[in-house]
Amino acid sequence: MLGLPLAFAVPAVLGALALLPVLYLLLRVTPPRPQSIPFPPLRLILDQRPRQETPSRTPLWLLLLRLAVAAAIILAMAGPIWNPPAALRNGVGPLVILLDDGFAAAPTWARRIAAAGERAAAAERDGRPTAVVPMSEGARAVQPGSASQTIERLRALRPQPFEPDRMQAIPVIEHLLATSPDADLVWIADGLENGHARNFAERLAALTTKHPASVLSSGSTPDALAGSDNRPDALDIRLVRANETGPGSGRLHAFDMKGLAIGDADFAFGTARETHASLNLPVELRNEIARVAIEGEDSAGAVTLLDSRWKRRRVGLVSGTTADVAQPLLSPTFYLAKALAPFADIREIRSGSADPIAALLDEKPSVMMLADLNVGPGIDHDRLASFVEDGGVLVRFAGVRLAGAADDLVPVALRRGGRTFGGALSWDQPKALAAFDAKSPFAGLTPHEEVTVTRQVLAEPDPGLSDKTWAQLTDGTPLVTAEKRGKGLVILFHVTADTTWSNLPLSGLFVAMLRRIVDLSSTTADPKTSRAAGADQNAATLAPTRILDGFGTLGSPPASAKPIAAGVPTPPSLDHPPGFYGPADGLVAVNALNAGDTLTPLDLSGLPLDRQALAASEPIDLRAALVTLALIAFLLDALATLWLSGGLRLRRTAATAAALLIVVGGLSAVPARPARAEDGLNVSKQDMQSALSVRLAYVVSGNASLDNTSHQGLVALSHALADRTSLTPGDPIGVDPARDELAFYPLLYWPILDTAPQPSSAAKARIAAYMKQGGTIVFDTRDALAQRPGGPPTPEGAWLRDLLSGVDVPEIEPLPADHVVTRTFYILAGFVGRYATAQTWIEALPPVSATEANRPARAGDSVSPIVITGNDLAGAWAADAEGQPLFPLVPGGARQRELALRGGVNLVMYTLTGNYKADQVHVHDLLERLAR
Amino acid sequence: MATQARLHGTDERVIGANQRHAALDLARRLPALVVSAQHIAASVAHGVHGRRRAGMGESFWQFRPFMAGESAGGIDWRRSARDDRTYVREREWEAVQTIWLWIDRSPSMAYQSNLAPQSKLDRGLVLGLAAADLLVRGGERVGLHGLTRAFATRGIIDRLAEALAVADRVGVAEDLPSSQPLPARSRGVLIGDFLADPQAIAATLKGLASAGAQGQIVLIADPLEETFPFEGHVELRDSDTSARLRLGEASALRTTYLERLAAHRDALRAVARSIGWTVMIHRTDQSAAHALLALASGLAPAMLDGSAFGGRG
Repeated sequence: MLGLPLAFAVPAVLGALALLPVLYLLLRVTPPRPQSIPFPPLRLILDQRPRQETPSRTPLWLLLLRLAVAAAIILAMAGPIWNPPAALRNGVGPLVILLDDGFAAAPTWARRIAAAGERAAAAERDGRPTAVVPMSEGARAVQPGSASQTIERLRALRPQPFEPDRMQAIPVIEHLLATSPDADLVWIADGLENGHARNFAERLAALTTKHPASVLSSGSTPDALAGSDNRPDALDIRLVRANETGPGSGRLHAFDMKGLAIGDADFAFGTARETHASLNLPVELRNEIARVAIEGEDSAGAVTLLDSRWKRRRVGLVSGTTADVAQPLLSPTFYLAKALAPFADIREIRSGSADPIAALLDEKPSVMMLADLNVGPGIDHDRLASFVEDGGVLVRFAGVRLAGAADDLVPVALRRGGRTFGGALSWDQPKALAAFDAKSPFAGLTPHEEVTVTRQVLAEPDPGLSDKTWAQLTDGTPLVTAEKRGKGLVILFHVTADTTWSNLPLSGLFVAMLRRIVDLSSTTADPKTSRAAGADQNAATLAPTRILDGFGTLGSPPASAKPIAAGVPTPPSLDHPPGFYGPADGLVAVNALNAGDTLTPLDLSGLPLDRQALAASEPIDLRAALVTLALIAFLLDALATLWLSGGLRLRRTAATAAALLIVVGGLSAVPARPARAEDGLNVSKQDMQSALSVRLAYVVSGNASLDNTSHQGLVALSHALADRTSLTPGDPIGVDPARDELAFYPLLYWPILDTAPQPSSAAKARIAAYMKQGGTIVFDTRDALAQRPGGPPTPEGAWLRDLLSGVDVPEIEPLPADHVVTRTFYILAGFVGRYATAQTWIEALPPVSATEANRPARAGDSVSPIVITGNDLAGAWAADAEGQPLFPLVPGGARQRELALRGGVNLVMYTLTGNYKADQVHVHDLLERLAR
Repeated sequence: MATQARLHGTDERVIGANQRHAALDLARRLPALVVSAQHIAASVAHGVHGRRRAGMGESFWQFRPFMAGESAGGIDWRRSARDDRTYVREREWEAVQTIWLWIDRSPSMAYQSNLAPQSKLDRGLVLGLAAADLLVRGGERVGLHGLTRAFATRGIIDRLAEALAVADRVGVAEDLPSSQPLPARSRGVLIGDFLADPQAIAATLKGLASAGAQGQIVLIADPLEETFPFEGHVELRDSDTSARLRLGEASALRTTYLERLAAHRDALRAVARSIGWTVMIHRTDQSAAHALLALASGLAPAMLDGSAFGGRG
């Protein structure tokens, strides 16, 4: 309609639109109820008949709103449909729908089936028979039937988890066209070249020259997973797609065998057709991964299955030789580690462990490799034996130690000594490897001619020796022997793991052999599938266990699924759909796409086919939207009417609140990105400022005048510091040890008030922690005048004792004359404040050593966490805004005040610089030494 | 919408702390008010405060030289003995005036449009109580007509407000005071919107003034009532009765209404003039302080020149 993809189910209803002008007139003369206003002086004019009564009209905008409501309802009744389904080309012959049912069709399967169903229904209206040919069953002959049969069959169809070969449908089509030449062919293509789409299209074009076949294809092709690789650090997943364009990013989910999610990874194609995603997970978790799928992509191609071949095994390496890390090429474990690194996780006890075997077994490896190590009877032997019994694989390499004293953890009895080829006293040439026996797990590997063995240990020629031999030299002597013990295996390389006996460890064959051995470590559990048990593996088949359907869901196998041959790579097909095959503990995965597979877009250029887009978007019934619109407009109209008649006026706040509520509700419905930038930053402004500048701090006592004195004293001291030293402290601050973070303050001035309550034990713990972490607290008892030598402690002193009884305080002593705190900035004799008589106590210094005896300053290893004085330092420092001192001094004098300030400067410098002044006394000596 | 108005509900009409505080606040902005009375000398009740002028009273006011022709009994001999002249001891004139207050609390007063900050009732109460406080501070006695006797207590606002609240709890207030005559030589202050029938108003006022009381009428009006700003389709409701008037085009009636209103007020003024009362019109969008000042100047015309009031201490 009008060039728009719009159609009406009941167009006749649109005639009601003609009634809108009538409605317009009707609405126009029925105005809303008038505003009702109380008016006390009404009685003055109550007798008045209105002289002029202009007919009031409904406002135009309200009129339009109401007309819009009516129009919307009429339109809704007419059943408007956006994107109506396309009509079928006229014809008389049967309609044959060729349906691509590979995994690429799965994401849009419903749309494809709907499109096919629509066409079938349209054909039925025209009385034409229909048929559907799914490509996966292309070889099966079809007979055109009624549309209901076709639709039923369409409903029963499910996408297949592989890309079927379309060419097999050609004979059926030829047969159909031969019987009914006027048949209409509609091919619903999945847009991929995979499965010979181009050849099929060419053939189709050739067959249908009279009625060009229609091709329906959707522009988008699915992303798919093709191959994965369990690398040492991560599980690497390869993703492919057919088109370079498109969103090209998404997320992968990894699941274990039970379907539980293990991890996820993001991927992005960019403009490429191939990309990789890696799942960074611990190896134990990665080994659990059985299925990786693209989120939101319901197709078998978007799923890759991982069996035990993808598991990384943990291999423990123990060497009998003393490992010399400086010469790694001499160490057998070096070659083993290099060879195993690409596919296994290596555990090695470097050195220092008293019992490396036990330590490694504690890490629960799958494979233990002992390089030239003799395991004598003892706990290690028993643990290794039980390790093998429980299914572990023990790989041993020969060497001089093993050749000297063989234990029983070897597959074959060994001759003492061994033999040497090609040595100076030997006529023998170094021996090469013979071809691997078909029963050997190494079957299929090519023994390189360059690999030679110059020395080996020899097995006793026991009757079962040949069964135990996995590899042998050209002269028939075994090179690798193995024996099954319990659930596990014992494997012996008759050569060393380093290059002293052979150059096998240098070859790529070595890597391949080790890989096969490591792969065995999971299958040793089941005797039936164990290749070591000598079963005829070529005859073994693996029955389907769990099979993927086209949508990428694992389920029970369909009847058409047939077993696969063990050990042979199987391409997915109708008979062998992707999925897991084999017993539960030895599953083999078959994937829709394997490493190296790519997706190619279908190219139909130059072919005489009628190309149509698979319904770009599904038909949208506009009825609901229109009815909603009408309802909203109706609500608006009700609100407007209420407003016009004055019902809303005095409830304006309520209306505003309601409107806000609606807006807020609407906003909250939008999934807002949570703003969490401030999360976890629970830092107060005070702490922030304290952290940004050096500040002196005092402990708030709760007594306002004392706190004021402390503050003013520290302010004066801060000014003195800023004037005299390079330190410019921030404003002093009062802190409460129970509440505030103390870590920002290098020095804490604590005037003792004996009437203050003792801090809680938690606060004491914080004080102790502060002192432990390098903070210094200056306790000022301010009781110099009350102190009596030998007398009872003053109340302040007793209070301080109580406080410190709960704190781990170092040993303290009266301030020695040569303590570094008396030298840090000024040279002082002691610390005076308002009083000069009290003793200053500080952390005891280590005893004077002989070499230090004549030094001018001494210091401990760290800053003393505690200084105790009784001289009321802050009282002496305290000054008002003009710098006038606030308190008189005892005995008094400007000199004492200056000395008090100098003491404060020294204390701050001491806490900030530590003992460097004590070291600086060496400067003279150091300079002399440098000059020398 | 340009015009919005509402009638306050009964719970909003309750006289509470708001009005008391507002009244107190307002009253404290003006100095103590002393009523000027023409017939003060004959007042029966003696007040406790002086009138800052010589007259009948007990407190000493001033000595002045004796003038020939005066009664010799007025000479203060003790003072006169100090020098050669004779002095007369003058006493301060001490008298008190009684003011009877009436505040309209009918439903039509509980009316507030969006043009005014408060309802007419609120404004009337604030004005009345503030005047009462002002008068009591000036030493006068204030009573509510028909409700209380006249008090001169400091907490006059609370006393009057309580009396009003009790009266309002008992029944609905009429829109006119009872026509019981006010005592002679007392003053009446009537605050209301006086929208009643002019004849009824005239009868009431004449009754009140029948004993010779002087008085002042404060007519409080909402700006909406003064301007009639309605336009278009409007339905007007009466506040006291259930009468309604639906107007197709309200603006057409504006002129008529304004004429009627002016006529009504003229009638009110005529009645007031006939009994010697004054009428003052106050709109609620004007400041209450302004109205209070006008009321005060009506009660004490001399106050404006500053001689009749002022701090006592």
